[in-house]
Parts: sequence; C-alpha cells; structure tokens
Amino acid sequence: MSLSVQQRAEFVATFRFIQVFLMETIARWVPQTPEMEVKVLFGRHIWELAQQADSLGKRVYELRAPLQFSLRPVESYVQVLEEFARTETTPQKISGFYDVILPGLAARYRNYLERTDHLLDEPTTRVVEKILNEFQKMIKESETLRKELPQLCLADKNWPAHLAKPEVSVPTIVAHRPSAAIA
Amino acid sequence: MTGLKPEETKQIKGMTLRRDPAREDCFQVVHSDAEMQEWPGMTEISQRQRIHRHMNNETGAIEIAAQCLVDFPEAPWELRMHLARQCWDESRHVAALYQRLREIGGRKGEFPISCFEWCVTCSLDSLAARLALQNRTFEAGELDLLGQLPTKWREIGDERTAEVLESILSDEITHVRFANQWLKLMVREDRRLLLKIAMAVRFLTTVTAALAPQEGQLSPIGLPFEAPQNRITQVNVADRRQADFSDSEIDEYLRQSGFQSIMAASAEG
Repeated sequence: MSLSVQQRAEFVATFRFIQVFLMETIARWVPQTPEMEVKVLFGRHIWELAQQADSLGKRVYELRAPLQFSLRPVESYVQVLEEFARTETTPQKISGFYDVILPGLAARYRNYLERTDHLLDEPTTRVVEKILNEFQKMIKESETLRKELPQLCLADKNWPAHLAKPEVSVPTIVAHRPSAAIA
Repeated sequence: MTGLKPEETKQIKGMTLRRDPAREDCFQVVHSDAEMQEWPGMTEISQRQRIHRHMNNETGAIEIAAQCLVDFPEAPWELRMHLARQCWDESRHVAALYQRLREIGGRKGEFPISCFEWCVTCSLDSLAARLALQNRTFEAGELDLLGQLPTKWREIGDERTAEVLESILSDEITHVRFANQWLKLMVREDRRLLLKIAMAVRFLTTVTAALAPQEGQLSPIGLPFEAPQNRITQVNVADRRQADFSDSEIDEYLRQSGFQSIMAASAEG
C-alpha cells in the first residue's frame, strides 16, 4: 500500500526541516571557515538548499499542511544532524556534508520515491527528483574543488564512516504525529 | 550592541566590534581603511589591489548574509530566501573577481584586507538594523561606486573587468531593493525598529570616526590620505531608483553628500 496524504505530508515536512537545518549549518560555517573557495562553495549551496526547502514547503501546503511547514525528525536523526553540525575542520565539514549527509539524505529521498504512488503523488516526486539531480551537481562541485585544492581532502580516510554509521542506523526519520498536529 | 560573548568580539580604538571572520593565513587582516594599501590611479598594482579589495568585500557580503540566516531563524521565510539568494550572488562575485585577479597576475593575500563591514554589521542585534547597514548603506554605496568604475576599466582597455563589475552592479541592485522593501514592511509592522535603525546608523558613524586616519597620518604606502570631501562618489541616482529608494530618500542622500547643485539641475529638468 502506498503512502496516505498525511504520511506524504509528514515526509515532505520532515525533508523540509532537514533542508533548512543543512542550509543553516553551512551558513554558520561560512564565516568560520578560513578558505575563500570553500566559502564560495557553501555560499552557492546555501541557495540550492533554500530553494529545495522552498519547493518542499510549497508542496507540503498542497498536502493539507500549513505553507512552509516543517516537522522535526525523530530524535536519533536530529542527534546525527547536530553531531554533523559540530564538525570543526574544513576537510571534515566538506566530507561530512558531501560524502555522508547528502548521499544519506538522497537515499532517503529515493526510498520515498519507491514507496509513494507516482501518479497520485506526482507533484512530490517531481520536486524530489529535481532535488536528487541538484544533490549530484552539488557533490560534483565539491569533488572538483577537492581536486583543485588537495589540502581540502581528508587525511583520515576512516572519518566519514564515523559519521555515516549513526546516519544509516536510523531506519526512519519521520516522527509521525496525530493528524491534528500536522493540519 | 548585541549579546555577543566576549570571545566573539574585539576591541579596536575603544570600540567593541564583532570579531573578524576566519581568513586563510595568506591574508593580513587589518582593522580599518587607514591600514589598507590604496594605490593611486590605474597602474598594474592599483588594478590588482582594487580587485583584491573588492573580492574580500564580496566575501564579507556572503558572510554577513549567511550569518543573518543563522542569527534570525524566525525571520519570514521569503526574506530568508532573499538572504540565501544573496549568498549565492556574492559567491559568484567572489569567484568572478578571483578569476580576474589571477588573470591579471594577482594572488590571494597580495594586499592587506579589512572586514570592517562584517565587524560593524554583525555587531547589531536586529535583522532590520543589519539590512539597514549592510544592504541599504554599504551595498547602496557600492551602487554609486560601480556606476563609475566600469568606465575607468574601459579607459585602460580592460573590457572583461568592466563586464564583471556591471554584472555585479545589477545583482547588488536587487540586494538593496529587497532590503528597502522589507525594511518598509518591517517598520510598518513595528515602529520601534526605527529606533534600532537609527542607533545602528549612529553606531556606524561613531566607529567610522574612531577608526579614521588622524590628521597628517600617512597611508601604509606612504601617501597622504585623501580628504573625506574629495572621496565622495557621484550618486548613482538611476540605480538607486531601481533599488526602490524613493525620490525623497535620494534627494536627502544627495543633500548629505553635498550634491545640492545636481539636485537643483535635476529639478530644472
């Protein structure tokens, strides 16, 4: 059975929460990160994340929730995000975002596409497919920069696994609510 | 002016300002214009210094818009979207200027930099005050400057830099415009914000005066500083109108800048 309208709204609102959280995280990093080229990369992607959040926020309204409604994910996933936001060095920030968090979120978006009805929920699938394409572009831009400036690459190749492990251990991110809480 | 922690601030000439944002070791960060190298004319070193300085100013503009997204999560979403878009625009400006800098033989860190605009703007505790300073004052000032600079670059045969600056100008108009539009809305909803804005402008005036070069002081390259009245840039009236400044605001700005004669001429048609 595919997702109900309320379940779709919960997923979309949760995705929006994550997008806004990521936008704020890399925005916080811009002044804290010394490397000019990385400030430029993050500055570009703040706008990508904001537009993605905006599309989700408009779609959630069509699913009978308030315009630009966000739903806080389950606490275990929030902890993953908060741990990621505390990342300190530039190579870790870049790797954490582009090698772990974005691919992890992309997997969750693809999972949503597998579960939802592609005809009845086509507006959401279009938004999500567009975001997935943009994620690929963002990741590619980070790879190009790391090729240009090898000092931005991680010295400790095991570090991403340290962040990825708790990320994949959260099977579902939506904190389901009674219908009154979302409408 | 804000509830900043002591470690987030710096003391310069008796003023408490927000601490500088992070910069690479190749940069020498100074605290005021008086410590910057400003090479006269359009010599090769002056060209590189102009682009280097502009590049750092645009970097500061990304940082200020980004910090506003962090510090004011409760701001209306539409306004946050404008700030996010501004981050992208300023990032493109930095990339374009850095590319141009390298093309003309410059490099990051070749000249000292100052993050004055960040240190002042991000000391303020309301989004309205920050928009009033960063977008409506600093960036509006850039409209005036960018209205003139492309001609200077074309005069020395540098069409590419002129094109870059013209593209930047059109983006900056949109940044000033959204700030003007949102400030009008915000003040209509809460008149007390006017006091915050007035205090911000006074803060900027005080800091500028405290950090200004002293009489007789020479610049780091051994030249006398130009008198403030000689540094006034021609007001870019057309682009200020595009950026939603009202005619009365432009008139007031012209009056403060000593351009009464232009106003009289324009009134005469």
